[in-house]
Amino acid sequence: MSDRTLRIPALRLGLRGGRFGLALGIILLMAFVLLGFAPLFLDIPPPEKMDLLSRLAPPSAAHPLGADHLGRDVLARLIGAVPISLGAALAAMAAILAISLPWGIAAGLAGGKVDMAMMRLADIIMAFPTLVLALAVIGFMGASLEASIVGVAAAWWPSNARLVRALVLSASQRDFVRAARLAGASRLRVVWRHILPQVLPPLAVIISLETASVLLALSSLSFLGIGAQPPTPEWGAMLNEARPFFTQAPHMLLAPGLAVTLAVLAFNLVGEGLRDLLDKREPYQW
Amino acid sequence: MLRFILIRLAAALPTLLGMSFVAFAIVALAPGDPVMMELRALGIVPKPEDIAALQAQYGLDKPFFPRYLDWLSRALRLDFGTSVATGRSVMSEIALHLPATLALAISSLIGAVAISLTLGTFAVAAGRVAGTGLRGITILLVSVPSFWLALLLIYVFVLDLGWARLVGDGALGDLVLPALTLSLGAGAALGRVVFERIRAEMSEDHVRLAIAKGLSPARILIGHIASRIIGPLATAWANTFGGLLGGAVIVESIFGWPGLGQLILQAIAQRDFPVIQAYLVFMGLIFFATSLLADVVVVLSDPQLRRRLSHE
Repeated sequence: MSDRTLRIPALRLGLRGGRFGLALGIILLMAFVLLGFAPLFLDIPPPEKMDLLSRLAPPSAAHPLGADHLGRDVLARLIGAVPISLGAALAAMAAILAISLPWGIAAGLAGGKVDMAMMRLADIIMAFPTLVLALAVIGFMGASLEASIVGVAAAWWPSNARLVRALVLSASQRDFVRAARLAGASRLRVVWRHILPQVLPPLAVIISLETASVLLALSSLSFLGIGAQPPTPEWGAMLNEARPFFTQAPHMLLAPGLAVTLAVLAFNLVGEGLRDLLDKREPYQW
Repeated sequence: MLRFILIRLAAALPTLLGMSFVAFAIVALAPGDPVMMELRALGIVPKPEDIAALQAQYGLDKPFFPRYLDWLSRALRLDFGTSVATGRSVMSEIALHLPATLALAISSLIGAVAISLTLGTFAVAAGRVAGTGLRGITILLVSVPSFWLALLLIYVFVLDLGWARLVGDGALGDLVLPALTLSLGAGAALGRVVFERIRAEMSEDHVRLAIAKGLSPARILIGHIASRIIGPLATAWANTFGGLLGGAVIVESIFGWPGLGQLILQAIAQRDFPVIQAYLVFMGLIFFATSLLADVVVVLSDPQLRRRLSHE
């Protein structure tokens, strides 16, 4: 393994270990994207369509995953929730990156007092447990999907900024970065041409893993009834609505929970798989 | 050691002040006038001069910073005002629910540490196939949302097997399922950290030497690797504890465990700002104390840091 070159990751995409996981993760993500676009191609009832005669109906030909307590098709709601659940996670992640990337890069490059002040500010936010701070922000904004996205982003960005800063610091210590600087390259050019390319691969790992945890947090908040509000189809909210019918209609619980798990799993697998690809250490084995 | 803790506390003072400011600002900047909301809750249609008088009574007519200092001095005396929803003092509400949440978070942490050490070491020690399998289980456990896991556990253990009951009265036996729910996910996440740490140590030369000397894997793990990873692990444990404090809200709401989770969800629904504020402050302080404890462990476990501290 050690004599194989690590230069071209694409060539190492065989089906072994982490690479199998990475492939599985990508396939799962693509499946979710396809599922999200399914209403465009297939004849699926709208997620809000009620059919009170088939309330709590078990899976059948008409309702492949059964119907919920208002007779809404679980499969249709599950598919309708794809853009909302995944979209919310991606929106939160975009917000986190929009703050943490400039913050981390600026702190890492500025150094000295500026760095210290910026990291102190991040530390203050990080001193609260993330979900607790998210809850407080939602409490202050009032429960809604938007509030939960803002809350999660507000609580998550500092740890991300810290990681970005650490990556930037270690990247700017490299000799060729110093050489570029000594050769008179502008700050922007050094960041753009020499630091960002080093930071991006490990950042991709972090983004993928963080998206998984953000997705988990957002669906948890919806499950608690303080994220997406009914009748919005969202996996966590669907589970919340299913709780009173726990014993009568277990099928209502299975599908949304599985959807969240698989989506989170997909992001985790991609993150871990990428990490394995980038990992060049060879532990000594007994 | 005492000096180290004092220095660390002094260094954390700005952070603590900042935390109190965040907790104050989140509520002070919240939309809606608390006086109006309270009056409306009482069903009174107020006259403008009454509102002004009440605002003066609560000090709400003062500018932002004096209000913050006022709030801070009261918070230092553990006075967080009265809950808008119940009319009782916020402190008594917190005191009523905090022990249950702490019991849940601490027992979950213990479970998570046990699970993580088992998973992590087995994943390192196992061969390629078994190791991949273990890592697969770990990733799966990390990915399962705790609310779904809780519902599945209830389905199996409460409804199907009847081994546990739901809506307990806070007895110790009722703690098992909620704690298990939380510790499975947290334990798997920590197991990943354990695995990564051990793997990182195994790439070091001192481990190579130990292997060359012919030491058994168990002796290398305990004698050479454990002492080096205990510091980073303590930090990870402290972070996990923070996650568990937040995660407790979800699990408490499902299992009916009478902790702070119930209180905060109610407070969010009723926009009970004093309770939200106090919850944020207390969770922040507990998490802060945990991180401090982890820092002490980091120093104690590292001979070089220890020596430097005693020489200073």
